[in-house]
Amino acid sequence: MMGQMMTWLRDPNPASRMQARLGQYYLGWLRLRRNPLAVVGLTIVLALLAMAALAPVLATHDPFAQDLGRRLLPPLTPGNWLGTDDFGRDIWTRIVFGARITLYIVALVAITAPVLGLLVGTVAGYFGGVVDLILMRITDIFLAFPRLILALALVSVLGPGIENAVLAIALTAWPPYARVARAETLTVRGADYIAAVRLQGAGSGRIILGHVIPMCLPSVIIRVTLDMAGVILIAAGLGFLGLGVQPPLPEWGLMISSGRKFLFEQWWVATIPGLAIFIVSLGFNLLGDGLRDVLDPRSSGK
Amino acid sequence: MSLIEIENLSVTYHVGGHDVRAVEGVSLSVAARESYGLVGESGSGKSTILRAICGLAPVSGGTIRIGGEPVGAHRSKAFAARVQMVFQDPYASIHPRHTLDRTLSEPLAIHRLGDTDARVVRALTDVGLPPAFRFRYPHQLSGGQRQRVAIARALMLEPEILLLDEPTSALDASVQAETLNLLNRLREERGLTFLMVSHDLAVIDHMCDRVLVMQHGHAAEELTREALAGAQMQTDYARTLFNASADRMLEA
Repeated sequence: MMGQMMTWLRDPNPASRMQARLGQYYLGWLRLRRNPLAVVGLTIVLALLAMAALAPVLATHDPFAQDLGRRLLPPLTPGNWLGTDDFGRDIWTRIVFGARITLYIVALVAITAPVLGLLVGTVAGYFGGVVDLILMRITDIFLAFPRLILALALVSVLGPGIENAVLAIALTAWPPYARVARAETLTVRGADYIAAVRLQGAGSGRIILGHVIPMCLPSVIIRVTLDMAGVILIAAGLGFLGLGVQPPLPEWGLMISSGRKFLFEQWWVATIPGLAIFIVSLGFNLLGDGLRDVLDPRSSGK
Repeated sequence: MSLIEIENLSVTYHVGGHDVRAVEGVSLSVAARESYGLVGESGSGKSTILRAICGLAPVSGGTIRIGGEPVGAHRSKAFAARVQMVFQDPYASIHPRHTLDRTLSEPLAIHRLGDTDARVVRALTDVGLPPAFRFRYPHQLSGGQRQRVAIARALMLEPEILLLDEPTSALDASVQAETLNLLNRLREERGLTFLMVSHDLAVIDHMCDRVLVMQHGHAAEELTREALAGAQMQTDYARTLFNASADRMLEA
């Protein structure tokens, strides 16, 4: 069965669009598998996904249930293996439910910012001239602000909350994608295959969406995975400053912030969510590095 | 009336404040179903003429008429259905992330022609590729196979005129001959008009009824196939070019 599946995937003469695409994914997976660090990264990201999906099963407590009699217990206490925070809430449970919030933020930013950046970058690069000048100067203005400061300003205007935090992060995260996409577009737009499709009478919209964007996508996807660590950190930073997710939601940055007061006596309250952020950021970074090998069009010759 | 008429064509590129005149005052006319060659060394402006016809090069003077109608600054879909081009490098002219199916069905989608499946399969068989190749990616093909795909793509819209920009110079010798024979066969079957660029007189001799020798962006001399075979050149430049490739022409 498995063997049949493999030969079907590796068939040099696929019988349908779907088989051709799945075959390419399979080859990509084989390339990714050759890089052990990337597999570690992928495992971490998949573990985060599983954790978020199975949160009610994995959690040992209610993430909001307070028990002031059992506050600030150290890790490895029976019943609370990662300890409890200052309200006696189980830290493991809150980490597990916090994975949902982290993933929610990451997913929303990963959908919005790269799409905006891709559109701005490819349009600027493809048309050139005045369009390029205007779009890239706008991009420059956004790039000139420090990201966290701009996000802070936006959140303080829009009001704190998870959606506004996502919006603020997305609005500050798109300019690098626009730059990457524009650079890639400039190398592609003079290519013969673009000239060929233009010669067939294709309009600019079709050329950009169907022919330019597929060439920009790999570098943008790599950039997105590498940026995810930064997004998690900014979300955590906003949470830490009280401008992102609001208590009592178990957001990791917020948890660090509330543990700050007891950092010297009860170190685990701040350290454990910090470790969670560290591990997930590392996972995305390793995965991004591995995807670079998989998606680089120059290495897809086999 | 000639199908392609070019009068006094000039193409000027602006590069870093300088004007580079790639083509200056070239005139030629190609009759329907004729095969016309442009020959010259690198930089003589022969490819630029093809690109100017397609709107890919900045025309600074002169007129281009296709079937009597002057082409403007913007190429319409109707133009695309009459004139198509095969590029020099088959490794650069096919989208690396599209399957052959996508590459070949794209022109049909642009022109809203139906019956995609049958047309794509027919296009593949017409250029001598097995239909099983339909969902392959270009990196799974050899250079010669890719050039066949590029030819099939150019023929998808059933044009009258095929512009060939050194279609075989990126291929090795045995594949060159196959590709040229394929082009000749398709021209006969479909009554195509060829405007073909090459730096190789042997290729031109095999393919073309008439040939224009170009040098430094100017037309040097026009020769018929008979004049070429009989080595009856008037200009020294054409003779030099002829001598450079004469031995290979005799073999063929």
